[in-house]
Amino acid sequence: MRITRLSISNFRSIKSLDLELNDTTVLIGPNNAGKTAILDAIRFVLTRRWGQRGTGFTEYDVHLADEHADPKASPGVSIEIRVEEQKAGEWPVTLKQDLGEIIQIDPATEKTSIILRASCAWNEATQSFEPSWTFLNAGRDPFVGGSVRRINLERFWQYLPFFYLGALRDVDDEFSPRSQFWGRLLKAMEIPPALEFKVQRVLDLLNKKLAQADPRLAKIAETLSGTTRVAARDRDGRVDLRLVPLKSWDLLSRAEIILRDEPDWPWLPLQRHGQGVQSLSIIFLFKAFVEHLLTELYEADSAPVLALEEPETHLHPQAARTLWTHIKDLPGQKIITTHSPYFVQHVPFRDLRVVRLTEKGTEVYSLPANFSARIPHVAKLDDVVAGSGRLLEYDRAAETLTVHGKLDKQCYRDLLTCYGTHADRAAIHDDLQGLRDRSLLFIGDNELRALETFARRIRGEIFFARRWFIVEGQAEYLLVHAMARELEYDLDEHGVAVIDAQNNGNPGIFAALARALAIPWLAVFDGDDTGRGYCQSIEKRGFAPAFVATRCRTLTARDLEAQLVADGLELELKTALTNIGISDAATADQAALLDYLRGHKTAYAAELATMMRGNAALAERMPQAFRDAIADLPGLA
Amino acid sequence: MTDNPLEQALTKLTDIQREAVAWNDGAMLVLAGPGSGKTLVLTCRIARLLDEGRNKSFRVLALTFTNKAADEMKERVANFVPGLEERANIGTFHSFCGQVLRQHGTHLGIKPDFAIYSQDDDRKAVLKDALKRAGMDTQAVRYLSLIDRMKTWLIEPKDAVSCLAGTTDAYEFSQAYLAYEDQLRRLNVLDFNSLIFEAHRLFSNFPAIAGWYRRFYPYWLLDEFQDTNEAQYRLLCAMAGQDFKNVFAVADDDQIIYQWNGASFRQIQRFRADFTPQLIQLPTNYRCPPAIVAAANRLVSYNVQRTEAKKPLIAGKKELKLPEHEHIQLRNFDSDQMEAEEIAKEIAARGKSQWGQTTVLARTRALLERMQKALQVQQVPAVIAQRQDNFLSAEIRWLVACLVEIVRPLDRRNLAVLVDAFNRFAEIQASVDQVLSDAEASGVAYLRAWVEAAKREVGDGSARLKLIEAASRLEPASAMKIADEILKEFASQATGNDSDLAEDLAAWNEISNDIRKHFGRNISLDAFLQQLQLRSKAPSPQPDTVTLMTVHGAKGREFDFVYLIGLAEDVLPSFQSCKKGDGSPEMEEERRNCFVAITRAKESLILSRAESYRGWRKKPSRFLVEMGFCQPQTDA
Repeated sequence: MRITRLSISNFRSIKSLDLELNDTTVLIGPNNAGKTAILDAIRFVLTRRWGQRGTGFTEYDVHLADEHADPKASPGVSIEIRVEEQKAGEWPVTLKQDLGEIIQIDPATEKTSIILRASCAWNEATQSFEPSWTFLNAGRDPFVGGSVRRINLERFWQYLPFFYLGALRDVDDEFSPRSQFWGRLLKAMEIPPALEFKVQRVLDLLNKKLAQADPRLAKIAETLSGTTRVAARDRDGRVDLRLVPLKSWDLLSRAEIILRDEPDWPWLPLQRHGQGVQSLSIIFLFKAFVEHLLTELYEADSAPVLALEEPETHLHPQAARTLWTHIKDLPGQKIITTHSPYFVQHVPFRDLRVVRLTEKGTEVYSLPANFSARIPHVAKLDDVVAGSGRLLEYDRAAETLTVHGKLDKQCYRDLLTCYGTHADRAAIHDDLQGLRDRSLLFIGDNELRALETFARRIRGEIFFARRWFIVEGQAEYLLVHAMARELEYDLDEHGVAVIDAQNNGNPGIFAALARALAIPWLAVFDGDDTGRGYCQSIEKRGFAPAFVATRCRTLTARDLEAQLVADGLELELKTALTNIGISDAATADQAALLDYLRGHKTAYAAELATMMRGNAALAERMPQAFRDAIADLPGLA
Repeated sequence: MTDNPLEQALTKLTDIQREAVAWNDGAMLVLAGPGSGKTLVLTCRIARLLDEGRNKSFRVLALTFTNKAADEMKERVANFVPGLEERANIGTFHSFCGQVLRQHGTHLGIKPDFAIYSQDDDRKAVLKDALKRAGMDTQAVRYLSLIDRMKTWLIEPKDAVSCLAGTTDAYEFSQAYLAYEDQLRRLNVLDFNSLIFEAHRLFSNFPAIAGWYRRFYPYWLLDEFQDTNEAQYRLLCAMAGQDFKNVFAVADDDQIIYQWNGASFRQIQRFRADFTPQLIQLPTNYRCPPAIVAAANRLVSYNVQRTEAKKPLIAGKKELKLPEHEHIQLRNFDSDQMEAEEIAKEIAARGKSQWGQTTVLARTRALLERMQKALQVQQVPAVIAQRQDNFLSAEIRWLVACLVEIVRPLDRRNLAVLVDAFNRFAEIQASVDQVLSDAEASGVAYLRAWVEAAKREVGDGSARLKLIEAASRLEPASAMKIADEILKEFASQATGNDSDLAEDLAAWNEISNDIRKHFGRNISLDAFLQQLQLRSKAPSPQPDTVTLMTVHGAKGREFDFVYLIGLAEDVLPSFQSCKKGDGSPEMEEERRNCFVAITRAKESLILSRAESYRGWRKKPSRFLVEMGFCQPQTDA
């Protein structure tokens, strides 16, 4: 069982948000974008936290439209999670029986689902923000009757236990005898009574021996006995020195983790190791807890939900990169926030969610495999869905139409025809059009798979970027960076990622990615057929020609080298070539020069970039198309 | 011996009872005579299934015909296996269908918070509005009972015309039916018959949901199976699908007394054909003295429409309080008036201590009313027990309407009840239309608009202001607390024990205690109102009160002393059945009525007849002859 959908409204920076969650979902985005709000939202639905005084809900948790808005007048926070079988029969029957009063069955797919809504609004009568939890039916109406009983909520929570590991993980806390994982693990350990008895005897004996080892110890005890005499009781009490733990539990509670990095190095307590190791150990502690104790404390079929902030904390890039494999294999569902491009490198595209704060509040962008809209049912719709070859799916109870991919022209037209005479025709046609437009953002599995392979190197960084500058190759990459720096728009500083598309796939797919993730982008291509072909391939992905015309520039000359020569940079190019050890470049004619340049693309470009350092005048002489593009970047939206 | 209540109960069972309790998978039909311990068998089996499945999560479904029977079974199961009773869903067919529809009705466009209209007035109003809306003649409101029958036969509006082929107004009817159903949906309301009708539709249209219920409830138990009607039986079949057989039905075809409602011994035959159950007979009667058992056997042997090879009852009662000649007695009187007076005197003479364990049974309500008057003359307290769908007093009807208003703030029909009820007891003239238009003009809830209107109407300083003010504070979380305040206020006004208000207050206390007992103290307002809706609003009789019941109402009950009056031809058996003749199904049903009536007695049965009823001379009931208490009279 896991959360498949999360809808949040009016919560902190979130006005309205609807996102799909996978087995593992990775949230990335700038600080303050609302990532923690998303994790907290899940925590609030799945735990009693809102119900508790002190730790509960405050007016700061209500999303406010502007600074004058009154949280008490807000319709309140609403957080909805949906858990649904991936295929019918996935959940064990015992689990369904236990949750029998709150489940819904899709009559068509026979998949079982549960929807839980937590809401919190100001209550005049009690003068406080009052939380409430309600299960909903497939039509998202609240249940009434037996389903409302509190025991159903408790049971649901029992099956979906929630754990939170915040960014600030402290080994001293997490490995204390009272901590959520370690403490409970230690307490659950069973020591056979015979051993317990033996331990007790050994402890007592040990204590005695130690106490006798130095006569001063007995004297200290004698002095301390004054305490009991002052307490003025009829009989003298005693003070004894206990040099070893009293009980075996005491002994266990002091258990600590010791590690050594190399076989012949000394064992050291965890706390004496580096921060990275400490932080990492807590993640593995969670794993140990789930593997050894979860079913004992919860149900056999309980599936943990782990909210994990910045698992990469303090880790070396190499470690951050391999961390993904371990995190992915953690039991249960994981929702992770990260700021590490290295960590993101191995995260599948479909698992990524880009979180951003816009004027509409926190928004989330992703590369979904399907798109849904609420559309009322009509009889004809069933035929269209049936004839769509699994492209379309319709949930009648929820009145939701889902497209698994791109909604093609014919299918779209058929859908419109279904509602040709419907009373709400106009509104429904709008919704269908919206659905079609969104489905254009679809990127198929094959393309994503190709990207997984080719674009691994850059994908960590590009997802954290605010803008994309798409170029053809590495030479452009180097030059654009240098130019921008000298033109006083440092790309790194402004979060612009330059993507050398040829090495990582093709420009079209990056344009599509940028659109899906709402990342503003522009591109500069060569002036030859290939360059113009790129523009066309972008247009083919459903971009309007006018839009492509403003975003994609082409060089006047056929390629970068020809353009540089045409722009009168022959002398500088020759210097650059000479600097990289091509001694006869200085005397080469134009044709030979171009040959040299094309033969040493990256090298000359790197050298030219170095030459540009501190030389704004040189940057100003670089090709117009690049300079114009750089000038456009700040205003790009 | 053990302290475990279930184990104790199991050891006390007879071998044959134990065999039934131990039944696991597969269909089972238990033919259980009156007083044979069928409730014990049912509850022990539920408890045993739960006890043996302690670590499992499945539920057990048990369907009964009355909430009272369900409550009693719940209590027993809770007593047998404390803590596990939550996994037994014991209720009536209607309440079960209600649950199913609240949880899964969305696939039929039914919202979870639908209201249930059980009163004909409400339903007529719905039909009338529906007809107006559809531009039809409101005379068609007469179709309501036909609509009910259609639903009992599970016929949807679209199929009504073909089912009524040959009748001239079939089309007009089907349109009225359709309009009525649309209107119910619009108002988010189901009527009582819709519960089974729609649940059946849900299970047949969406087999996946029926499939789920089979997994959720791997064991079904059916009490009083002989009384299931067509709709209920088909509901079971739809829910069971092709292969599900774990149905444990307890029935007695000699106690079918709801033939008029579609119950039939054929249902038992169908069950045997469809589910091929094993058969266990529980013929031993532990309730009645041997003489009554013998009389019952003689009587019912005249019926032919019953299960073949059905064993006669065996007298199993060991301890008898009274001497043998008091076990069955026959009284003859000249007239029905004399019958009532003399029986009343006899009961009065029994003394107060026996009144609570005394019942007078009759075929018709008219006889009971006469009896009640006669008992009044003798100063013997007596009540006619019957299901009561609504509270009697305007005060409590108003309170219920106020609570409903918070849950369904847009229910105009309920608003009308609220306004009228308050008008009646506060003697004011607030107008429903005025409240409605006030609410619409000012954009406030109906209840708030009514509060303002009522305040104006009662005027400053009125004692009613306290009630209005309390109503104005109602909101879901605190509603039950405020309702208690209002009830206290009413209680201080109720004078004596016999006013409608006093009776309602007693009934309210009883029902709300019952509901809280079975559904928890923190039951939501909505769930509370649903339960309230389903239950009879008649309070339990005061102690030391004689209970007067029709034979139908006596089903499942038992008393030390049972008077069965009116044992004359055209009375019991009824005039209609006599007209149909001796071999008719109607006559057989009357015989079963008599069978049920006499087997209510634990110590003593007094049969009585008069020479004349309503001035007409009547022969002694043929049942007296069949039981062997008098010789057949030939027409003189």
